[in-house]
Amino acid sequence: MNLDTLVGLLQLIPVQRAIIALAIAGGAFPIVGVWIIGLNIVPVRFAMMHVALLGIALGMLIQLEPTLVGLLLCGVTGVLLAPLAKRPAGLSGPMGLVMTMAIAAALLVLSLSGVNANGAFELLWGSILATRTIDVVILGIVATIIIVVYVVKKRDLALLLYDREVALCSGIAVEQLTMLLMFVIAVAIGAAVHLTGALLVDSVTILPAIAARNLGRSLQHMVWWAVGIGIVGNLLGFGLTLVLNQPPGPLLVITVGLITLATFLRKRA
Amino acid sequence: MTNATALHISNLVCRFGSTPVVDDVSLAIAPGEHVAIVGSNGSGKTTLLRAILGLHPIYAGQIVVDHVHAQSAADWRQRQQRIAWMPQRQASGQFPLLVHELLASSRNPTVAHDIASQLEVGMLADRPLHALSGGQLQRVFLARALGSIAGGAGLLLADEPTAALDFGGQAAVATVIAAQQVTVLVVTHDRTMASHCGRVIEMANGRAREVTP
Ligand SMILES: Nc1ncnc2c1ncn2[C@@H]1O[C@H](COP(=O)(O)OP(=O)(O)O)[C@@H](O)[C@H]1O
Ligand SMILES: [Mg+2]
Repeated sequence: MNLDTLVGLLQLIPVQRAIIALAIAGGAFPIVGVWIIGLNIVPVRFAMMHVALLGIALGMLIQLEPTLVGLLLCGVTGVLLAPLAKRPAGLSGPMGLVMTMAIAAALLVLSLSGVNANGAFELLWGSILATRTIDVVILGIVATIIIVVYVVKKRDLALLLYDREVALCSGIAVEQLTMLLMFVIAVAIGAAVHLTGALLVDSVTILPAIAARNLGRSLQHMVWWAVGIGIVGNLLGFGLTLVLNQPPGPLLVITVGLITLATFLRKRA
Repeated sequence: MTNATALHISNLVCRFGSTPVVDDVSLAIAPGEHVAIVGSNGSGKTTLLRAILGLHPIYAGQIVVDHVHAQSAADWRQRQQRIAWMPQRQASGQFPLLVHELLASSRNPTVAHDIASQLEVGMLADRPLHALSGGQLQRVFLARALGSIAGGAGLLLADEPTAALDFGGQAAVATVIAAQQVTVLVVTHDRTMASHCGRVIEMANGRAREVTP
């Protein structure tokens, strides 16, 4: 590809929107990834994807804006799951259950409502190149919430993610804080799936956080690393998409994935 | 000192699954008393301390701290604020926390930092906790607990606070804990530490009996 074609592509509105969306998501969503790793709930993203699908199906059934119902249901589920964090086994098990139940319920609702399942799936699996202005706005709002929660609660979060019981015995309102985190995590994943597609959820959340876990020596360091890798990795991956003329999902995940892989080498050194 | 806490445990039962690991324990501790809890591994010492903090569910009986039988979440939060805790097992996960971040969670961070320096772990403030040795970690947690006492906690629950320390460290920590003017409940296998305490309770198979010499 020559430079002129690339410049031409960059002038396309969908490409510009995609770049803005990726920069916003890459800059804030990795913080959620760090929380997910700290709370040890990596399966949360599969669970919430399916809860979002259920919400979309319900929205179609009762004829409310399906995307909003999906996000709302994610948030509510996150809050309802939070009290389980105090069990010694933590949240991992319930996540798997939620995922299975949500997909079953979603299929049931879709069948009852007589809507085409493909329609629901299309709403669920967004594509970064199909990003609309409203999507960018929603993304911006969710990103702002993530950053505000992190900045305001930084100290309590560091203790909670280190050890729930030490946090409890330090006078932190652990249950409320867990609920807040679960709410934001669930909504962020719902939003990310809808806006960028299922594959990209990992490239803006978990992957940068895993890399940061290898590089950072405190919560704050981890967050800086995760955000840096989130922005650079995703924009780089998107650049490759344009240059190589390939679909964005796989290349983005591979780019961020390779960066993450490299951090394991450095950790070993 | 008026700030020391009174502790009344009556007929306490705590279980893991259906196995009672604390079995009908009753214990009255007056404000300012220092009590050592001894006993073999698995006899229920840690579970007893965790139940006092509200970290292990109470199956039967009750624990009254300063005449309050905690019931609501707010009661428990208030109780946790009155207690300085040195856990036996540190950090469930692998998430990093810096030494100074932990010290900052003490009820009096300035005192916690000062004591950390006296205990020769002050220079480790910028290290993550998982990069400390067992003994260094125990000193940091002790500094944090003593800061909390300076900040108003009236009960120190220390779970094998000297287990990872060298001989010199064990003697030093025993002396520091003995000097506290609050109520102290310390689980220990260390004779020096036990000898500093006015009372000794031995636990076996979840049951407690007084063996004060
Ligand atoms: N997570 C757990 N699940 C089941 N049993 C446990 C668990 N933790 C401790 N126990 C059992 O509870 C009993 C008391 O443990 P603990 O209070 O830690 O003993 P101690 O502190 O006296 O060594 C032991 O028999 C132990 O095996
Ligand atoms: Mg123990």
